[in-house]
Amino acid sequence: MAKKDITRRDFVKAGLLTAAAAGLGTGVLKPTGLWAAEPKIQGPVKVGYQAIMSGTLAGYGEFHRMGAQMAVDEINAAGGIAGVKLEVEFRDSTLKAPEAIKNARYFVDSWGADFLAGVDSSGQALALAPVMAQLDKPLMVTHAATEKLTEVEVFKNGIKQVFRICSPTYQDGNAAAFVAKDLPAKKWATISPKYEYGYTCWSMFKDTLGKLKGDSEFVAESWAPFGTTDFRPHINTILDAKPEGLYSVEWAGELITMIKQASEAGLFKSVKHVMLPVGAAMDVLEGLGEAMPDGLWISGRYFFMYPDTPKNTEWVNAFHKRWNHYPAYVSETGYSTMFAFKKAVEAAGSKESKAVIQALEGMELDSPAGKRVFRKEDHQAMYSVPWGLTASNPKYPFKVMGKTVVITPEQCFNRPPFEGEGTKPPFKS
Amino acid sequence: MGRYVPYLLFGLVGLVLLGIGLFSGRFVLYLTMRVMLLSIFALGYNLLLGRTGLLSFGHAAFFACGSYGMSLCFLHVTPNPLVGVFAGVCLAVLAALIIGFFCVRHTEIYFAMLTLAFGMMVFSLVWNLRSITGGDDGLVGIGRAPCLGFPIARDSQFYFMVLVFFALTVWVIHRIRSSAFGLVLAGIRENPQRASFAGVSVRLYRLAAFVISGAFAGLAGSLAAMLESNTNPFSAHWTHSAEPVLVSLIGGLQTFSGPIVGSLIFVVLREIIERFATNWMLWFGILLLVIIMGFRGGAMGRIEAFFARKATPRGEEGRP
Amino acid sequence: MLESLVHVCLTGLAQGMFVWLVACGLTLIFGVLRVLNFAHGAFYMLGAYFCFSFLSWFGDNFWLGLIIGPLCVCAIGFLMERFFLRYVYHLDLPYQLLLTFAFVLIFDDLVKMAWGAGSLGSPKVPGLSGSVPILGRNFPTYSLFIMGAGPLVALALWAALEKTWAGRIIRAASSDREMASAIGVRVPALYTGVFVFGTWLGALGGGLAVPYVGLLTPGMGESIIIEAFVVVVIGGLGSLKGAFLGSLVLGLLSSFGTRFIPAFDMFLTFILMAVVLLWRPEGFFGEAS
Repeated sequence: MAKKDITRRDFVKAGLLTAAAAGLGTGVLKPTGLWAAEPKIQGPVKVGYQAIMSGTLAGYGEFHRMGAQMAVDEINAAGGIAGVKLEVEFRDSTLKAPEAIKNARYFVDSWGADFLAGVDSSGQALALAPVMAQLDKPLMVTHAATEKLTEVEVFKNGIKQVFRICSPTYQDGNAAAFVAKDLPAKKWATISPKYEYGYTCWSMFKDTLGKLKGDSEFVAESWAPFGTTDFRPHINTILDAKPEGLYSVEWAGELITMIKQASEAGLFKSVKHVMLPVGAAMDVLEGLGEAMPDGLWISGRYFFMYPDTPKNTEWVNAFHKRWNHYPAYVSETGYSTMFAFKKAVEAAGSKESKAVIQALEGMELDSPAGKRVFRKEDHQAMYSVPWGLTASNPKYPFKVMGKTVVITPEQCFNRPPFEGEGTKPPFKS
Repeated sequence: MGRYVPYLLFGLVGLVLLGIGLFSGRFVLYLTMRVMLLSIFALGYNLLLGRTGLLSFGHAAFFACGSYGMSLCFLHVTPNPLVGVFAGVCLAVLAALIIGFFCVRHTEIYFAMLTLAFGMMVFSLVWNLRSITGGDDGLVGIGRAPCLGFPIARDSQFYFMVLVFFALTVWVIHRIRSSAFGLVLAGIRENPQRASFAGVSVRLYRLAAFVISGAFAGLAGSLAAMLESNTNPFSAHWTHSAEPVLVSLIGGLQTFSGPIVGSLIFVVLREIIERFATNWMLWFGILLLVIIMGFRGGAMGRIEAFFARKATPRGEEGRP
Repeated sequence: MLESLVHVCLTGLAQGMFVWLVACGLTLIFGVLRVLNFAHGAFYMLGAYFCFSFLSWFGDNFWLGLIIGPLCVCAIGFLMERFFLRYVYHLDLPYQLLLTFAFVLIFDDLVKMAWGAGSLGSPKVPGLSGSVPILGRNFPTYSLFIMGAGPLVALALWAALEKTWAGRIIRAASSDREMASAIGVRVPALYTGVFVFGTWLGALGGGLAVPYVGLLTPGMGESIIIEAFVVVVIGGLGSLKGAFLGSLVLGLLSSFGTRFIPAFDMFLTFILMAVVLLWRPEGFFGEAS
């Protein structure tokens, strides 16, 4: 199917729209760069977004959509990207790599997408990377966390088309170790997902904590296959090992189930220190409600109460008003992705992949999650996400973060060239 | 005159496929390759299901063997694509021999359940032997080195390699079906007792059909690994085994071209539905219902007869 | 050590009884209709969702929800059998499986549309939540309830099949359909009845699952249906006794496997299935075909 011919917009019209947009001042981003003088962009700007929309994780697809759609509406209401309209199409990625690849090819080759976004599964993201190189369109990953994507595919293999706006496994593994080092727990155990994500995070946690606190011991591990609904056998294994700390990168529905079943079994009475790197996800907090015990360490890829800036507060309120939900972290990453593309296209003055990639590298983005900087070497966005102890808050019907600790990305993200001395935390400087 | 119609039809299809390869856009190329690969999988599979009457839920395991065999060969032995495909098919054949040996002692539902069990065991192995298979990340970076001197790195070039294998598969399956071996298989499906009274070693023939269909599954898997440049463990899951069943049923179990037609319908329908609705499962399920209920076996039989007259010489379909 | 072993055992028994509660309906349907109903997992899911909804409408009355929920679901089951499944009995096995599979797709999406794509957390059941200390470690009270409910359902089914008139007809029709029809049993109506009853059992399993699993998600039937299949097959297709025993074996194997041989998880389940099928294809108590 040939790409549709797009009529050129009137320059004057574009210029007027720009002035109007600047005047309205969404308060998000001001148009900058070369484009204001002479728009080289043929609208609309098309973004193909894929996320899981079926099966047990279907909720996440909805969360992605909520954030992305809100951004699209906001951007278009303020005049679009460089004066042309932003269009997004959503597709179900399922969890299978061939489907994700097919969707990517559909978006680019058939629908005419300029950019792609989304992807929840690490395996899918890794499979997509070489395809993105072939299709030569930028992909902004909004959920998949594997560090292999940025360290291997982008940095080592040079696939420049891939960017990631959400925090990766460094936040789950390394940052957790920094928080854990100050806890009195010496013996740690884990119940984590029985796939690469689980193995990687636990391995990172062990590695970094071992360096930070030499007397740490890792006494038990129990791996729960995808789709586990009965965590009790795993809980049994942990109880037998009598650890002082529990680390778990279980997420979404499985984390909810695990916490409920662990509470029932009295796990949290004997294990006082619990680290849940993705426990601050909205679906988990809302799903558990009062059933979430107090005093657990939780984190995520964004937490709606942090940072305490007007931009974040306003956005959360607007989101809540529109969707009657507090934003999930993938809602924030989906939302910010659209603005990242907007800023890059306007800075580059073009939709062309090469120009946009160049604009994105090193770009700073003001987003609800705070200030993000896209690291040039591996295209990974650096921003801070807090760790906090669960506590009640009368304002919300679910537990939130009470005492908060922030481990900055400079402290916990692996550094290029990712192999050899001085590339893994803790760092000397 | 009627004898040559099937050949004419296939010639026409071949021309269309050639035309697609030369003139169409990248996405249509990609979809067509997916259709051809699914057809290869289903054509081989239908030899077991339609011809021999055995429903297997484990053939995805052989597809995965082809996929991983080819990829491991590429990553550790040689990037030569033909050697890789050969390695994948060999691994699939080996697995089919072993698994088939245990499974063909039984029939019907027990056979189906046994193949399901073995297939899922392979899935579990692929998922858990992370150091070899890459776990749920799969093996990535499978490239396409030139095949017999022809470059196949670009999709537009690789398409022709897939087309060649597709044509080969069609030809081989056709020869098998019309051979004495194929007739014996049909006889075994119709009445296994009679066949064994006639001196046929039923179990051996079933095993042969099992292994041959496994080989084609492996071929499809090897080519798929090259198309997507990666492997993934879900290719061994039983839900993937359901695809050739679905496709053969849609197209027509007893017909030769059924699996091909079914593959086309399956891929195209899915794509169309996805463009108009995010609830694609609902519409796909409804469509399936309509197809099964609408034909209720009866109308399907009529279409089968129509195809049978076109695809096979008269008198070949078994008469009681 | 003893505490650990006892708890692993108890966990396994509870899990086994849970699978039994789901699998008994599937076994019954297969025994009489000779149809392996893929959609049984979807009925389980529908049962869970309906019970959950009624729970919230009727002021958290779990028992009331448990009665009404499955009734709604078996109405759906009735529609499926009467207007669709009935017409494919005479077709080959693949057609029947495909039909039930089509319904899985449809139900999964319908649930997503009706109840939302996200997961729903289940409230606690008063009186059955919390835990009981056994040998110093807490064991969930609800698991004990499941361990009791399983044998209760088994006994009730056995009594219904052996002692009642309807049960006798069902057993007759399942062993020889033609003969039953010849002596005047209205076989199509019987089939519908059995299918509806099997669906009701599956939905009941779903309702009971709500506090046990603690979470409802669209597609939640997918994982349990495989376990139910394994149990039905190794128990002997159509044998309730076999399915009960198979569930116990599966539950214990799963629990001990996860605790002591963790590398293998589902591999163990399928090896069990393969070994039983190879050694004795008709399962523990099935009839040799």
